[in-house]
Amino acid sequence: MANKTLLVAQREYLENVRTKTFWLGIFIVPVLLAGVVGVSMLLEKLKEVQRYSVIDLGGGDLLARAEREFRSADAKAMWRLAAKMQDDPQLQELRDKAGATTAGEPSADQLKAVLDWVGRQDAKDLARLGELGASRRFEYVSTQQLGIAATDPQEVQRELGQRVHKGELFAYFVLGADPAKTVDDFRYVSNNFTDVGLRTSYESALTRVVQKDRIKAADIAPKVAAHIQEQVVCKPLQADSKGGTADVKKENVVDQWAPVGFVYFLWMAILGVASMLLTNTVEEKSNRIIEVLLSSVSPTQLMQGKIWGIAATGMTMVLVWVVFALAAGWTVPTLLGVSGGSAIMAVFMTLQNGGYLLSFAFYFLSGYLLYAAVLVAIGAACNTLKEAQNLTQPVMMALMIPLLSMVFIGQEPNGTVAKILSWIPFFTPFTMMNRAGGPPATWEYIGTSVLLLATIWLTMRAAGKVFRVGVLMTGNPPKLREILGWLRQS
Amino acid sequence: MQHALTLHGVTKRFGSFTAVSDLTLEVPKGCIYGFLGQNGAGKTTTIRMVMSIFRPDAGSISVLGQPDAAAIKDRLGYLPEEKGLYKKMKTAEIVAYFGKLKGMDRSTANLRARELLTRYGLGDWLDKRCEAMSKGMGQKVQVLGTIIHEPDLVILDEPFSGLDPVNRDVMRDLILDMKRHGRTVLFSTHGMEHAEQLCDYVMMIHKSRLQFAGTLAEVKRGRDRGIQLDYDGDGAVLQQLPGLARLNDHGKSAEIYLAPGRDPQQALRWLLDHVTVRRFDYREASLHEIFVRTVDDANRKLAAAGKEG
Repeated sequence: MANKTLLVAQREYLENVRTKTFWLGIFIVPVLLAGVVGVSMLLEKLKEVQRYSVIDLGGGDLLARAEREFRSADAKAMWRLAAKMQDDPQLQELRDKAGATTAGEPSADQLKAVLDWVGRQDAKDLARLGELGASRRFEYVSTQQLGIAATDPQEVQRELGQRVHKGELFAYFVLGADPAKTVDDFRYVSNNFTDVGLRTSYESALTRVVQKDRIKAADIAPKVAAHIQEQVVCKPLQADSKGGTADVKKENVVDQWAPVGFVYFLWMAILGVASMLLTNTVEEKSNRIIEVLLSSVSPTQLMQGKIWGIAATGMTMVLVWVVFALAAGWTVPTLLGVSGGSAIMAVFMTLQNGGYLLSFAFYFLSGYLLYAAVLVAIGAACNTLKEAQNLTQPVMMALMIPLLSMVFIGQEPNGTVAKILSWIPFFTPFTMMNRAGGPPATWEYIGTSVLLLATIWLTMRAAGKVFRVGVLMTGNPPKLREILGWLRQS
Repeated sequence: MQHALTLHGVTKRFGSFTAVSDLTLEVPKGCIYGFLGQNGAGKTTTIRMVMSIFRPDAGSISVLGQPDAAAIKDRLGYLPEEKGLYKKMKTAEIVAYFGKLKGMDRSTANLRARELLTRYGLGDWLDKRCEAMSKGMGQKVQVLGTIIHEPDLVILDEPFSGLDPVNRDVMRDLILDMKRHGRTVLFSTHGMEHAEQLCDYVMMIHKSRLQFAGTLAEVKRGRDRGIQLDYDGDGAVLQQLPGLARLNDHGKSAEIYLAPGRDPQQALRWLLDHVTVRRFDYREASLHEIFVRTVDDANRKLAAAGKEG
């Protein structure tokens, strides 16, 4: 008996897997994803360099020091990179002259050496190293370089303003006359207020410089000042059952975006595979082949065979994706440096954690079986895809809930909404996957899984009944009440 | 055990509609049995109950001596009325698949599928996809899929519909072949000539009720004999034949039934005067005539019953 189910499943699987469209569909998803990542990175690179100028009303060395401070974050990163990449010939000079080390802070002289070095490098060579933020995106142009001969600040500002208006300059800064007393007359003039990168970075650089001056003026020892300005950092620790604490394990640190990425992926996989089953059933029914099959196998065998055959198809698809993702998970972060904060990157990072894959496989299979049972029953009751689409609408609407709530649940993995949705079997796979960052308590995992499996069993039985009656029906699609009637029969 | 199939008091209802009502029937082993009836008379429902696709609401069915057809599905072959194939599958694959579903092992099924297809003229199509075939070829493939496992009872629902004359002959030979191998063949048809040529037994069902069943001779016994006429000329004149009871005029040929007591010799004489007679035959009623009359009579009875009620 089970043998026939297997035969049906096998045929179903082979028919799907043999088509070109199946493999095209499989490969197009990673290619698209890679494309999205690639394009967003390319766009970042293509971002135009923002040219800015600065006019210093004070006339001191504030401009030069602010500029150096502005670049120093980049310089520090470069200084550490030189120590990290011992074999890189381009960085050899940094190791020799600036004495780069991986730990510690560069001294003022070392920093100056690095800044000098950066200034001499070709932009392309620096882009290769990929660690520079400000230097790559913002370019300082002095008023002389802009060919502004005027000396009167009002005149200079007018000329700079014209250039900003024409688009030659992205922005110009006005540094106040007496920053030791007030910073009220500092200005930022631009026509673009959406891209605030330049302004915020430059502002914080200025703040650091001005603070330093004021500390000096107030005759506060630098040590004292550093002590006062120290930032509070809370060390993260995990609590255990005895109330003790331990260092946070690496696998428990999950970016909130990673589960969201997983849920979306799960959603696509379940929906895709389950609708494959729906289409397949309706086609087979309108094909009339179903009656021949029913003379050899029982409706239950046929239904089970189809469900498992397509499950195998879906698993193949997901497996190929997982292989791609694993490969990407191991290579992409090291390739690009771990700087990327995007959701995809977070997913890749978490992929290195095996438990995720395991629960993904479980929730995919259980979610698929649940929705498959519903859709196969609908498919059996309908004669055309159009009819089926009407009947599947409520299912699709229900499926929107995990999609709409996925960001919210990702942020509040142990909130009331998340907890309630976990106990609704039709949402369990998505919600539990979504809450992985929490993570939910073990009893929640077990309880919801038991409920989910029980629901799958019940739904399968009901689907079997609908399938048995519906699969040979022709004519008008049955009303919901009639379908419920079939459930009561036999 | 003499019967391949026994139905006793079988009834099937769909909601308020009765598809088959109180049907009792015996199909002897090794015969060819024809199911006759109009569209929607209940033939397909009966067949589906025999195949245990539907369960009867009342009555019992015994197939090959078994009360439960599901248990002996592998010994049955079934070609449904609406015929379909997996379009993307190759011809030999699908025939073998049907065999495997009937419990044949893989290699035997594959081998036998290729052998059957070759024997019935589809040797060039073994590895071609079903979607590329014409309707007639597809139907042949389906029939081969039905019989690949050498079933004891073969049930064919409208096997001749949609076939050209050459393929009809192929189908006929297939059915005769199966009988020769000792199998029981049951088929439903609208083509009375096929029933008349092939069947040992026929039954007719009309509006869910059995009208008659038996050997061809039994069915024809006691019916009016009629004149089979081939003629040239204006067929309208035939209506004026003295003593005419009923006429089936086909334009070039006609079946003529005379009122009781009328002499066919006189009718011949009259006909010779009015049309050019090419053939004149006075013989038992054709199955076609019996079919049409049965439908007429049954409808008249039903109408009368309706008026009374």
